[in-house]
Amino acid sequence: MKLEGEHVFKGPREAVWQMFRDPEVLGSALPGTQSLNKISDTEYEATMNVRIGPVSGSFSGKLFVSDENPPESCTLTVDGRGAPGFAKGVGKVKFTENGDGTTLMQYEGELQVGGTLASVGQRMLDSVSKSMIRQGFESLDKALEARLAAGEGKVVDYKPPTEAEFAKAVAKDMAGGLTQVAELRMLMYIVPVALVVLIVALIVRGCGG
Amino acid sequence: MTTEVKTKVIGKSVWRNEDPRLLTGMAQFVDDIELPGMLHAAFYRSDYAHARIKSIDVSAARARPGVVAVYTAEDFGDYWHVGPLQVPPPLAIKGAQFNARPLVPIAKDKVRYSGEPLAVVLAESRYIAEDALADIYADLEPLPAVTDMEKALEPGAPLVHDDLGTNLAADVYQQVGDYEAAKAKADVVIARRFFKDRCAGGAMENRGIVCAWDEKAQKMTVWCGTQAPIPMRNAIAKNLGLSEDQVRLVIPFIGGGFGPKVMTSMPDDVLLPWLSRKLNRPIKWIEDRRENFLATTSERDQIHYAEIALTKDGKILGVKDVFYHNTGAYDPYGMTVPLNTQTHTLGQYDVPNFYTQIKMVFTNKMVVTPVRGAGRNYGVFVMERLMDLAAKELKMDPVEIRMKNLIQPHQLPYKTGIIGQDFVENVLDSGDYPASLKKAVEMIGYEKFVKEEQPRLRAEGKWVGIGVVNFVEGTAVGPYEGARVTVGNNGKVVVLTGCSTQGQAHFTTFAQLVAEQLGVDVKDVHVTTGDTDQFHWGAGTFASRGITVAGSAVYAAATKVRAKALSLASKLLETPEEELELADGVVRVADLPSKFIPLGELAMKANPTRGTIEPGVEPGLEATAYYAPPHGATGYGTNAIILEVDKETFDVKIRRFVFVHDCGTVVNPMVAEAQIHGGVQMGIGTAFFEQLVYDDNGQLLNASFQDYLMPKATDMPMKMELGHLSVPSPLNPLGLKGLGEAGAIPPPAAYAQAIENAIHDVDFEILDMPLNPSRLYELVKAARKK
Amino acid sequence: MSKKVDIKVTVNGKLYERSVEPRMLLSDFIRHELGLTGTHTGCEHGVCGTCTVWFDGEPVRSCLMFAVQADGHEVHTVESLGTPDNLHPLQQAFMEKHALQCGFCTPGMLMTFAHFIQRHPNPTDEEIREAMAGNLCRCTGYENIVEAVKLAAQRMAGK
Repeated sequence: MKLEGEHVFKGPREAVWQMFRDPEVLGSALPGTQSLNKISDTEYEATMNVRIGPVSGSFSGKLFVSDENPPESCTLTVDGRGAPGFAKGVGKVKFTENGDGTTLMQYEGELQVGGTLASVGQRMLDSVSKSMIRQGFESLDKALEARLAAGEGKVVDYKPPTEAEFAKAVAKDMAGGLTQVAELRMLMYIVPVALVVLIVALIVRGCGG
Repeated sequence: MTTEVKTKVIGKSVWRNEDPRLLTGMAQFVDDIELPGMLHAAFYRSDYAHARIKSIDVSAARARPGVVAVYTAEDFGDYWHVGPLQVPPPLAIKGAQFNARPLVPIAKDKVRYSGEPLAVVLAESRYIAEDALADIYADLEPLPAVTDMEKALEPGAPLVHDDLGTNLAADVYQQVGDYEAAKAKADVVIARRFFKDRCAGGAMENRGIVCAWDEKAQKMTVWCGTQAPIPMRNAIAKNLGLSEDQVRLVIPFIGGGFGPKVMTSMPDDVLLPWLSRKLNRPIKWIEDRRENFLATTSERDQIHYAEIALTKDGKILGVKDVFYHNTGAYDPYGMTVPLNTQTHTLGQYDVPNFYTQIKMVFTNKMVVTPVRGAGRNYGVFVMERLMDLAAKELKMDPVEIRMKNLIQPHQLPYKTGIIGQDFVENVLDSGDYPASLKKAVEMIGYEKFVKEEQPRLRAEGKWVGIGVVNFVEGTAVGPYEGARVTVGNNGKVVVLTGCSTQGQAHFTTFAQLVAEQLGVDVKDVHVTTGDTDQFHWGAGTFASRGITVAGSAVYAAATKVRAKALSLASKLLETPEEELELADGVVRVADLPSKFIPLGELAMKANPTRGTIEPGVEPGLEATAYYAPPHGATGYGTNAIILEVDKETFDVKIRRFVFVHDCGTVVNPMVAEAQIHGGVQMGIGTAFFEQLVYDDNGQLLNASFQDYLMPKATDMPMKMELGHLSVPSPLNPLGLKGLGEAGAIPPPAAYAQAIENAIHDVDFEILDMPLNPSRLYELVKAARKK
Repeated sequence: MSKKVDIKVTVNGKLYERSVEPRMLLSDFIRHELGLTGTHTGCEHGVCGTCTVWFDGEPVRSCLMFAVQADGHEVHTVESLGTPDNLHPLQQAFMEKHALQCGFCTPGMLMTFAHFIQRHPNPTDEEIREAMAGNLCRCTGYENIVEAVKLAAQRMAGK
C-alpha cells in the first residue's frame, strides 16, 4: 500500500525538524504508544497498543532514520510486529520552507502489512490509517505550537491525546465515511508528519488489520 | 453394454433418508464429537508468506496453565517428513516435466505461504490453546515473496523452493494434429491473454479432525470430514508405522466438501494422530474460518495465452493454448487441475489441430488443489471466449458459429487425443451436442429475444444481453470404487462403501439402486459411506464420480445379492427362479403372492448356525462388487442467460437462466437438479463475486465472509430453468454420468458473452474473471476513453 | 483465564445452571457446554448465519453473543422445532423440496425461517430471499429453500 501526502506546519523548518527528532513528541503523536525510546541517533524502539475493529494487540517495533539531511529530508523505516501481524514501511520525508514562516512536509512511502491485520483488517486499513495520520498531524501541530510558545516564554496547554480519545476519533472518522469533503479537509491536515505518521500508520494499520 | 432398465425406484424423486436427522440437529458432524480427556489443538501460523525461520520461542506458551504441549517442527524429530504426493506425476504423458514438492506438515527452516503452520499447541480447551498462540514468538527473517506466475519464472525471481533453482513446477504439452500448419492456412487468427483468479471451496463447515489412540487396543480412531477416507486411512497408517487395520477412519456427516476436503497429508492429519499416540490423549482440531481461507487449499488462478485459427466461414482449424497454472507453494495434488483444463478446452467442438501447454508455477500463495469445476471451467472460458471473439470478427452469430463446429452424435465416442487427470486418453463417450445447444436456444427464446425484445429494451436505454455457451464435464474417473451389500436378519439392507458423502444424497441414491434390485423400501436401506473398519477399498468422492463409480459398484453388489436371494428362495419355495420376484421386502412367486419368504428370513437361512452351505456359495445374503471405468464418462450441456447491467452501478441482474445438461440415466431427478443449482451458485460466484485477493507480498486480503463475497440468496437468479437430455453412457450398466460440477463450469463464459452483448454501445472485451461491478465499470471506462 | 460467572439460561424450555468464563461464546456454550450440537458455527464472525438461534424469541447469531449475556434469558435452538419422527412443518417442507444438501447451514436457515413465517404468513419470493440474505448456503443455490419456505407458509397458514 502506498502512502503519500503533505502537511503544512506553522513554524520554521528547523523547529519542525527538531520536533521530529524528539522521541517524546513523536511518541505523543502516536496514540497508543507506550514507549518510544531512542536507542541511537538514528534508531528508536517503540511499543504500542493498537485496537482497531476486530484486531487488537500489542506491537513492538523499530524506527530507523537514514539518509538524513537536516533539516531537509530523511528516510524512515518502520518495522513492527505483534500478535495481530506485522507492518513494515519505508517512507521518505521532505521539509521545505514556504517562505512565510511555515514549513511544508511532503511524504511518500510504501507500507506492507501481514497477518490478521491484512487478512481481516484490510477493509478498515485505509480509513483507519488516514484517521491516524490526521490525528497525528493534529497532535504535532499542537506540540509545535507549544514548543514555539515555550521558546517565546509563553505557555500553551498541550496534552497528548489519550488512547480512548484517539479510538473515539478513529471511530468518528470512520463513521463519517471518507466523504470527499472529509478527505479534502484531511488533506490539509495530512500534509506532514510523514515520518511519525508513517510509522504510526504502519503500526496502526498493522493493528487495524 | 447399456440395457434398457425398467425401473421402479431409479428415476424417482425419492425424499432423502438423511434429512430427518439433518433437519433436527441429530446428525453428527466432526465438531460434535466429544471424548473424555480430549485435548484441543490450535496452530500458530506464519504471518509472512515467505520467510526464513530463525527461531521459535514457545516457552511462554508451554508455561501457560492448561497447555499440555507445544510442538514445532524441531520437536517432531524424525517424524517430521515431507509429503507424500497425493496424486502421482503425469508419467503417462510423454516428455512431461514435473517437480514434486509435496506439502510439509509444519514449516521447518522456511515458510512458503502466509498461514503455514509453525507450531501446534495442545491444551485443555480451545480457548486456552488460542491464548497460548499469542505467547509464541517466531523470529522470522522475511524474504521477498513471489505471487505473480509470470514474474515467478523470470530470472532472479525469489525461489519458493531454493533447492529446485526455479519456480517451474511442471511443463507439459500435448498436441493433436499440427496447429502451426493449420494456422498457416487460416483466414482469421485471434489471440488473447486470459486470466482467471482464485476462489475458495467455501464449505460452510470448516475442516476438522478428532483422533484418539487406544493404547490397550493399539488402535487409532480418526473422525474426519474427508472426501477420501481410504487414502487418508492408508496415509495415517503409513505415517505412524501401523498396519492399515490399526487405523479406523470414521466419516461423520460432512458440511460440504467442494474439493479441498479431498486433501490428505495436511498438517492436521499428519501431526495430530501422532501426537494423540504420543500423549495418549484424544485430540480435536476444528479449523476457524480465517484459517480456512488462508490455509485450506483453493483453486482457479491461471493465465492463458490462447489463439484460434478459423476459415472465413467460421470453421475452426486449430486452437493453441499455452497457460500458466499457479499451484501455490507446493504441488501435492500433482497436475490434476491443469490436466483437467487441457481435456476441457475444446469442449464440444471438433477441432482437428490443438496444441496445449501447461507451465505450472510455484508461488508464495496457498496451494491449489481441485475446487468444484476443477480446471474445467478455465478451459471452457478460454474456448468460449475465443469463439465469441471469432464470431465478432467474422460478423457471425455466436450461436451459429458454435453450431457449425460441434462434434456430431455419430462421431461419438470421440477420442480427443489428450490425456487427462486420470492418466488415460480423454474420450467423449456419449451424447448429442447439437441437441443440447438447440434445446437451450429454444428454452431461452433466442430468436425472439434478439429480434424483438432486445431492440425494444435497447430503445428504452437498457443494457440487456444474452449469452449462450457450451461445456463438457469429464466425470467419473477411475481408478475404481467398491461396495458391499448385506441383507440383515431384520430384512433391512446395509450398504457399505468407501466413497464418502458431503451432501450429494448418497444415503438415498445408493439406497435407491439397492432398493431397485432387492425390492425393499428405500428407507430400509442403510448406507454407510465411510467407516474403514467396515469397508476399506476405494478412492473417494471427487471428480463428479460418486453416483457413477461407487453407484455402479453398489448396483453390481445389489445385483449379486439379488441373484443369491433368488437362488436360495427358489430352493426353499420350490419354484423356478424365473417365476419369482423381489418386492415389498420378500421373495415371492409372482403369480402366487401368498407364497413368499421375507428377505430377513432368507438372510438367516443363508447364514446357518449348523449344517452346511453348498460348495461354491458364500454365506449370507451379502455380496461385494467393484466398478472400474476404462475412462471417465463425459457429461455436457449448454448455459444460456439473459442479464441486465445497471448503467449506474454496473451491477448485473440475471433475467433468465437456462441450463441444459446430460448426465445420462438420472437416479433421483430431485437430487440431480439440486446438484446443478449448487454448481451454478459456485459458477456465478466465480463469474461475478468470489475472488481471493492476494497482495504482491502474498498476503490474503479478504480472509473472512465479510470481505469474501459468496453469492447470497439475493444474488442468484430467481429461477434456474433446467433442461434435461438423457443419453446413457455406454460405460456402465445403468448408463450413468456424473454432474456434480456441471453447474460451476459455464457461468463465467456465459456472463462474459452476455455482458459484452448487453453493453452494446461500448467496444470492449472481457478477458479476465471474476468480474464485479467495479471491475466492469473500469473496463467500460477504459474502453470509452479509447 | 478470567473468573467464571454463574449463569442460568433456559434453553428449549429447560433451565440450565452453569459456571462459565465471561468470554465464552453463546454458540460454544450451547454446543459444548449443553451438548446441543444442532446449532453449528460456520464463520464465527456473524456473517454466515449458521449459528442462528432464538434469543427471547428473536433470531440472533449465537457466535456474536457471550453466554453470560444469556443469563436469565430464553434461548431456542433447532432441537426445539421437531424430531425425526415428528418434523415441524418447515422441516417437512425442507425435506420434500430438497432444500438441504450437506445440511450444515440448515439449522440456521430453519431458525431464521421458522421465525420469519410467523411474521410473514404469505411471503413472496423476494421477501424470502431478502430474509435469507443473512444466511449463507454453499450447496443448494437457495432456490429449493425458497420453495420450501413457501410450501411451509402455505401449510401453516392453512391450519
